[in-house]
Amino acid sequence: MTAQTNQSWAASRLPCLASLCACLNARTMAPGGSYFAAFPFLIAVLAAFLSLSGIVLAVFYNPWHAFASVQFINRDVNQGWLIRTYHATGTTLIFALAYLHLFRSILIRAYRAPAEFSWLMSVKLLLVLLLTGWLGFVLTGGAAGHLSLVNAANAALSLGGLPGAVGLWFLGGPAGQGTLARLEVFHALLGISLLLVVWAYFASRKAAAQVEPAKAVAFYPYYLAQYFAALAVLAFIFVLLGFYAPGVSGVAANHIPAGGLALPLGAGVPWYLAPAAGLLGVFPTAKLAVAAAIVAVVLLYALPWLDRSGPDGAKGKVYCFFTWVLALDVLGLGLAAAGVLPFSPVLAVLFTGWFFFHFLVLTPVVTAMEAK
Amino acid sequence: MRRVFALTAILTILGIANAHAEDTLSPLHFQSQGPLGTIDKAAAQRGYEVYKSVCAGCHSLGKVHYRDLEALGLTPAQAAGEALAAGGTLNSPIKGAAPLNMGGAIPPDLSSIAAQRPGGPNYIYNYLTGFGPAPAGVTLLPGHNYNAAFPGGQTAMPDVLHDGAVTYQDGVQPTKAQEAADVAEFLAWAADPNLDARHQIGFRAIIFFAFLTIIAVASKRKVWRTQA
Amino acid sequence: MAEPTASHAPGESRRDFLTILAAATGAVAAGAILWPVVDALNPDQAAEGTGQLIVNVSDIAENTAKTVQWGGLPVTIRRLSAADIAANQDELVVPSTLPAPADFASRVNAGYPSFVVVVGLNTATPCALEGDSPSEPRGDYNGWVCPCDGSQYDPLGRVRKGPAKRNLAIPRYTFINPSQIRLG
Repeated sequence: MTAQTNQSWAASRLPCLASLCACLNARTMAPGGSYFAAFPFLIAVLAAFLSLSGIVLAVFYNPWHAFASVQFINRDVNQGWLIRTYHATGTTLIFALAYLHLFRSILIRAYRAPAEFSWLMSVKLLLVLLLTGWLGFVLTGGAAGHLSLVNAANAALSLGGLPGAVGLWFLGGPAGQGTLARLEVFHALLGISLLLVVWAYFASRKAAAQVEPAKAVAFYPYYLAQYFAALAVLAFIFVLLGFYAPGVSGVAANHIPAGGLALPLGAGVPWYLAPAAGLLGVFPTAKLAVAAAIVAVVLLYALPWLDRSGPDGAKGKVYCFFTWVLALDVLGLGLAAAGVLPFSPVLAVLFTGWFFFHFLVLTPVVTAMEAK
Repeated sequence: MRRVFALTAILTILGIANAHAEDTLSPLHFQSQGPLGTIDKAAAQRGYEVYKSVCAGCHSLGKVHYRDLEALGLTPAQAAGEALAAGGTLNSPIKGAAPLNMGGAIPPDLSSIAAQRPGGPNYIYNYLTGFGPAPAGVTLLPGHNYNAAFPGGQTAMPDVLHDGAVTYQDGVQPTKAQEAADVAEFLAWAADPNLDARHQIGFRAIIFFAFLTIIAVASKRKVWRTQA
Repeated sequence: MAEPTASHAPGESRRDFLTILAAATGAVAAGAILWPVVDALNPDQAAEGTGQLIVNVSDIAENTAKTVQWGGLPVTIRRLSAADIAANQDELVVPSTLPAPADFASRVNAGYPSFVVVVGLNTATPCALEGDSPSEPRGDYNGWVCPCDGSQYDPLGRVRKGPAKRNLAIPRYTFINPSQIRLG
């Protein structure tokens, strides 16, 4: 397949089509890429999929009668339950992929120069996802989402100063019905901005890629075939979760409408917010929690510079070991937040301490040791 | 990967073999439960009778409409008849908000009760059959009744089901346990009216995407084999 | 399917078949996944239900009519008396002599010829008609009269006199059973 045969009627009249074809056919990609390297592509597909199903939900969603409108979607809109399944299961999978992508990036040290920007975008992806996911959880109008919103609004009220002002601007004062109207807009904007973040990730990864020209392969057909296979596997998992475990993306207490004077026991948050909730939950005051969140985000962003091994540093076994420990630590944080572990409050403190210890102490020390 | 799919297929087939038993009382089993469960429509129709003649006195069912009853196997004319008998139309909710107050306790709307309570239909069955005299040492609040299945053991709701509380059209004996099980299945349907569709579509989609995965991976391998 | 030519490697045709099969299955999957997104924007159950109204007609006495509001229009349902039916047979009222020719069968449901279902609005000046109950003015044909311009209709809703030139419109309806009709 040569460039001439691709120079179709349309491409000769719209040059960017021709350059797209050329780009897909250009031998720029490393051969033998792992299926794990397809995760950002799958995340992009899921982000688009969530945007699409979100548009349909937004047609019927009413922030002033949030719970009733979600019930209406489930019961009376044609295929409405299926669209909600799309949105909920898509959320679970995009979070799973984002967590796994970050874990793998840390494990294989994909953040090192010159790919720092890809790492920054990966972290940003998770942060935007966390905020969007929380907003979506609140928008359902269920009791658990409402409780979470009330907690956030109370925290913003108690913060004072600039962070409190920002929080109150975002939430529009104490949690009321009007709050959901603005949160719906923020949810949509943040969700669509995910696509921009993913695009920036791809652009920076491409710029940072070091491929031996003699061995390079084109996207088409090699990586297209691989990504297609990865998508098929994703779709299979999607069906298993969406049709046979529909509760996995939500919280049981969200079946109860918000409001009333009774708050359900064990409301909790969805699994994908649990590690963040666990980390924030160990701090006694809102001020400390916000400070800890800022430090955690800065540490994640700073990882390329916390790694002291230099540009040629080899992958070390100790570093690998501690990365796996970090994964277990984050998992444990989530389980502790859900209260399923014995001594959950104590363990949550330990896990939170370890999280900061890993980035502040272990990463610089271990990488510097293993650089030699 | 292939082993995973083979295992999934086997489990699915076992699930189908297991799924299509009707509701039974002993052991208590609901056809709607399990990964491939479907609503037992006959039981749910009987449960609707129980709801209509017993529960509806106090509990609303605001999210379910008469038109929805057609999904339970009623003909459009029967559903319209139900609506007309209650003075509504096919679009009316089966029962709107009930402004009843049991000494401070408000009877909850039952539309999603099976999803709201852990255990779903099992809990509803245990609750409806769980009334009894308070054990020694339990002091009941005024206007409350003892119920072993209710968290805390005391509920403002009285024991409403008894043998022959309704008359079934299909000749099933309306014992108290039968009524409780039937209304539990009906409420399981009301809380998740898309259960049947979800499990049916899901089953087809699993087969389809298993097939797609196999040929996509095979195609990928074939493509990459040509890479020099 | 063409024979593999000599220039192709032995595995080539199978690869092509596999690729085409994968692409085609993928296209089917994309269509199946996206169809619900499209279908969700079709009228929902409540909207479809609002488009329909079930009316009990068993309480309409002979020679009287009942008017219900449906879709923003007054829909009038009249139960004909035996005299009305006899007086409006095609032998007595020849359709071709009417301002808007229509025979008896075209104005009623074949299974329930004693019910006339029409939109109770005059077709010239859009006024609500009089004549539902025998005590109201019914004009020369025992049907309906328009209080605004004096147009007169017979019990079948055919215009018989007057500035109006068209018969009363018949809405879409079905008999569920002898005592209930569904509009829409």
